[in-house]
Parts: sequence; structure tokens; C-alpha cells
Amino acid sequence: MTERKSHKSDRITGVLLLLLSLGYGFEALRLEADFLADPLGPRAFPLLLAAALGLFSLYLIFKPDPDPHWPPTRVLLGQLAMLVSFVVYSYALAPLGFLLATTLEMAVLSRLFGADWRRGFLGGAGLALGLYVLFVFGLGIPLPLGRWWPG
Amino acid sequence: MDVFSLLAHGFSVALTPLNLFLAFAGAFLGTLIGALPGIGPVNGVAILIPIAYALKLPPESALILLAGVYYGAEYGGRIASILLNVPGDAGAVITTLDGYPMAQKGKAGEALALSAISSFIGGTLAVIGLTLFAPYLAEWAIKFGPAEYFALMVFAFTTLASLAGKNPVKALIASVFGLMLATVGIDPGSGVPRFTFGEMKLYDGVDFLVVAIGLFAISEVLTLMEHSYLGTAQRIKVQTKLVSMKTFMASLWSILRSSLIGFFIGVLPGAGASIASAVAYTTEKRLVDHEGTFGTGDPRGVAAPEAANNAASGGAMVPMLTLGVPGSGTTAVLLGALMMFNVTPGPLIFQQRPEIVWGLIASMYIGNVMLLVLNLPLVGLFARILTIPRWFLVPAIAALSFIGVYAVNNSAFDLLFMTGIGVVGYLMRKAGFPLAPVILGLVLGRLMEVNLRRALAISGGDWSILYASPLSKALWALALLSLLFPYLTGFFGSRRRPPDV
Repeated sequence: MTERKSHKSDRITGVLLLLLSLGYGFEALRLEADFLADPLGPRAFPLLLAAALGLFSLYLIFKPDPDPHWPPTRVLLGQLAMLVSFVVYSYALAPLGFLLATTLEMAVLSRLFGADWRRGFLGGAGLALGLYVLFVFGLGIPLPLGRWWPG
Repeated sequence: MDVFSLLAHGFSVALTPLNLFLAFAGAFLGTLIGALPGIGPVNGVAILIPIAYALKLPPESALILLAGVYYGAEYGGRIASILLNVPGDAGAVITTLDGYPMAQKGKAGEALALSAISSFIGGTLAVIGLTLFAPYLAEWAIKFGPAEYFALMVFAFTTLASLAGKNPVKALIASVFGLMLATVGIDPGSGVPRFTFGEMKLYDGVDFLVVAIGLFAISEVLTLMEHSYLGTAQRIKVQTKLVSMKTFMASLWSILRSSLIGFFIGVLPGAGASIASAVAYTTEKRLVDHEGTFGTGDPRGVAAPEAANNAASGGAMVPMLTLGVPGSGTTAVLLGALMMFNVTPGPLIFQQRPEIVWGLIASMYIGNVMLLVLNLPLVGLFARILTIPRWFLVPAIAALSFIGVYAVNNSAFDLLFMTGIGVVGYLMRKAGFPLAPVILGLVLGRLMEVNLRRALAISGGDWSILYASPLSKALWALALLSLLFPYLTGFFGSRRRPPDV
């Protein structure tokens, strides 16, 4: 049974980490200090880390754990949609303003977590308004109103 | 100055109206965060840091608030454990074993009351322990040289590796990853920019807060997408009851023993509330469970883990405050918060910034009393919070994470970076890499490198200075031992671990 279990995830991770350690190590080798305040300089510690990571990633490649249960496609798509919404929200926050952007983002996220659009919008608008009042008026932390806001 | 006058000074800090309010806010939010399955103390603390920062609180006030969330969460975790059989946070996993059966027998009110009192006793005894031990440990630690410090930090990573997660190598990889993140930015020793790829935003280093919130909160939101079992409670009625004197007296020794166990396990680097409650429960089962009632709703089985997990969160403050070396994800986040406030943690903090340490310790006495009050008569209020639907709660956590990070720098770059780190954190969770070592590495990285370079500067480049003194030899030996420990006993290796905090 144990032979049949796939170990791909850890092997792939191990290879990626090995590449990371090599890239990081080479980048560290290129570091040059104009003057040396201490015998080690800026390179030594990163090189130690690169060596350690390289060693550990080899261990992972040769002694991998069985694969975890990756979620089914439906969940993966949901997670992907969520990440896309995060990226859009990050860019939309300043131009759209906190209230509008957060209401829309909350509606999308609520939908992804199983609410219908109506509840999502209502809940999102309520939360956005509540947080805006709390942050701006309660805590004195400014949040963007958006570029479309007059004045 | 003796401990009492220092503590009195601490109370003069903690009793100012602002700090009293913050202790209360921390306790309240902590209970809330602990009660809600899906957000644990580490997420709560991380999300609150930017708010504390944006409010420009003085460091001791910020720490009082954030620590309140941390130890308050151990109170709140039990509520969902008892009522829903779903632990509110990792430290409350064991509480489900007897807490839920008690609730099924109609004794939910009693279980909640007894566990609140146990939490209070465990939490308060731990603060007393912190008061008594911390100054001595700090005084002793002042003698540490750079070589000893380096060895101590290695020890912190190895114990964390052997305790957090099933595969120690994966925990070590997570540690190295955190340390690598810490090397990004201008090298303080030579002024050379490292691993910035010309990106000016990275010259100051990777933003600790962005990593902490991304790694814990955003990855948690992604994980929650998978789980359907975290259903919300339909209707919960809780009578606020007091526990009978007889039940309390029957549990008293279990509470006291578990508090001691919890405190000392909390002090150990790497072992936190979840391990403490498991060890305390097993110990009590062995010692007092003569009729085999543990697991069927024995009050002592509720009291023991709750006393232990609260004592552990107090104990975990000891190495964080005295050595500047945290032993868990949450204390690492607390330490990172202190660094954001330009406070250098470590033994010198006791001499240079006594108002921070003693103000915090004093506030923990006050906070525990507040928590007892919040968790006895008001427990019904928190139980009602469990009825918040998940479709609202989880997006709200995400929204709070985004606002918090945005409030600090007003930068979309930070939000994108946080999202990216969240994906990394999610993949790590899935593949069995613990997250706490990453944050520990990020927080300790600079310090570790500085101490290494200082040690080598003293020795003129001779690496043997790292293990020259007896103390550093002992620390290296302990580090090695902790790595071999899982293989030596098989105990920690074979047992299924509760999720790390």
C-alpha cells in the first residue's frame, strides 16, 4: 500500500526549494561590500542559509512524505476566484474608495462562501459602513474615499 | 529594586485609563477571537497590530492590547469546544474530549463556568510565575555573549522543529525560509542591499506585518474555503450557571497540577498551549481517572486542559520577554510587533524599558480578572457570536486583514505581497510545513546574523568561538538533543499532533 502512495508533492517542492537555494546562494555570492566591518561580511550568513536549505531540500526529494489531499477542482476554482478578487480589490481600493470596493469584495467573497448575492451585498455594505465608521471616526485611521468622490 | 516595587511600578502603568481600557479591549477581543473557530490568537494578534500601530499607541499600551488578545483567546477557545465540539483554537482541542459530553448531558453551563475558573487559575498562576522567574532569567541572560545568543536561537529553532508539525525537516525548511526573508533589504553591517532586485520598496526589508497577516490570516481564509464542517451553530442557549463547590473542589488539584505543567511547557521554546493541554490531560487521566470517566464528561477533564493552556500562554511570555527569543508563532508575532515599535527585545529591556515589561505583567493580572468576569456571567453573549454565519465571518476576516495592512502604508503593493504570502502559507499548510517557524525566522533573522557576525568579529574569524564557552556548548547539545528527540522516543513522532498555533 505504502508503495503505491504518491509522493509527488514533496518531490516537486524539494526540487523547487533546491532551485531557490541555488538562486539565493548565487545571488549571495555576488554580494560585495565596499569595506569590511567584520570578518564575515554580508555574504556568509545567506550562504549558510542557502547551504542549509539545499541540504534539507535534498532530504525532501529523497525522503518525501505522502501527498496531502489537494482539494477538489470545485474548491480550487473557488480559491482561485478568491485570489483574483483579492488582486482586483488591492488595485481597486484607492480609485473606487473603501466603501464601494469593500462592499463589492465582500459580496463576491460571501457568494464564494455560499451566501446569495442579496445577502452578500447587504452584509458587505453593512460591514464596509461599520468598519469605515469604526476606523475613520472611532480610531482616527484614514481610509480612502475614492477618486470619484466629489471634493 | 525588588520584585514588588517593580510590580507596583507596573501597576502604575497598567492602571492608567488608556491601558485599563486596552487590557479590557484585548481581553474582550481575545475571548471573541478564541471563541470563533477559524481565527486563532495568532491571526487576531496579527490583524490588530496595524491598528495599534496606526493609532500610534505607546509600545507598552500596544503590547498590553496584543497580549490581552493572546491570553484572552485561550479563554475563548473553550466555548466552541464545549458547545459545538469544534475547538475555537488549537489550545482548546483537548477541551472537546470532556467538554462536549458534559454539554450533551445538559451541563454546558457548568462546564463553561468550571473551565472559566480553571482558565483564571491557570492564567493567574502563570503570571505569578512570570513575575517571579522573569527578572532572574533576564539577569542571567544579560551575561550571554553573541555566541551564546546565536546558539540559543538555534536551540529555539530546533525545539520548534521537533515539536511543531510531524516532519522536523519541514519545520527546519520553514525556519530557513523565514531567515531568508529576514535577509532581504539593506545589510546593517555593510550597507549593501541584499536580495532586493533593485526594488526600492524592499530596501527596508520585508514588512513583518504583511508577512504575518498574509501567512496566517489569508492562508486561513483560503483553508476555510475547503472545510464545510465549520458549520455555524443554529441556536445555542446557555444558562449562566455557577459551578457547585463540590465539583470545583474535586477538580482543584487537577487545576493546580495542570497549571504548573502548562506554565513550564509554555516556557519551553516550541511547545505552546496545544501541547500543554494535551500533556496535562494525559497526566490527569493517569493520576485521577480511577473510574474511567475521562472522555465521558468528567469535569476534571475540562478543568485540566483549560488550566494548562492558559498557564502555557503566560509561560510562553517568559522567553519572549527575558531572552527576546519567542517560542511560538503567536509570541513571535508579539515580538515582531514590539520591534515595529522600535523596542529591542531581550534581557536589557528589563533595565532600559521597565515600564514595558512590568506594565505588561501587571496588566496580565488585571486582564485575567476581567476575563473571568467576561467569561462567567457574559458567556452567553460569546456563545451567541458562534451563530454568526460563516459566509459573513470569513469574508470579514479577509476584509479586516486588508484594511489593517492598507492602513499602515496605504500601498497596493503591500496588499498584493500579502496575498502572495497567503498563497505560500496555504501551500505550506497543505504540504505539512508549519507556519510558526517562518515567522520566528523572520523575527529573529537579523538578530541571529548580527550575533553571528559579532561573535566572529570578536574571534577574528575563528568559528570555534561559537561553541567555546560551557554555556554555548550546553545550548548546542540541547539543540542537537531536541532534533534527535522525536527519533529517540518515538513518542512525539508517532502521536498525531494537534494543529500548531
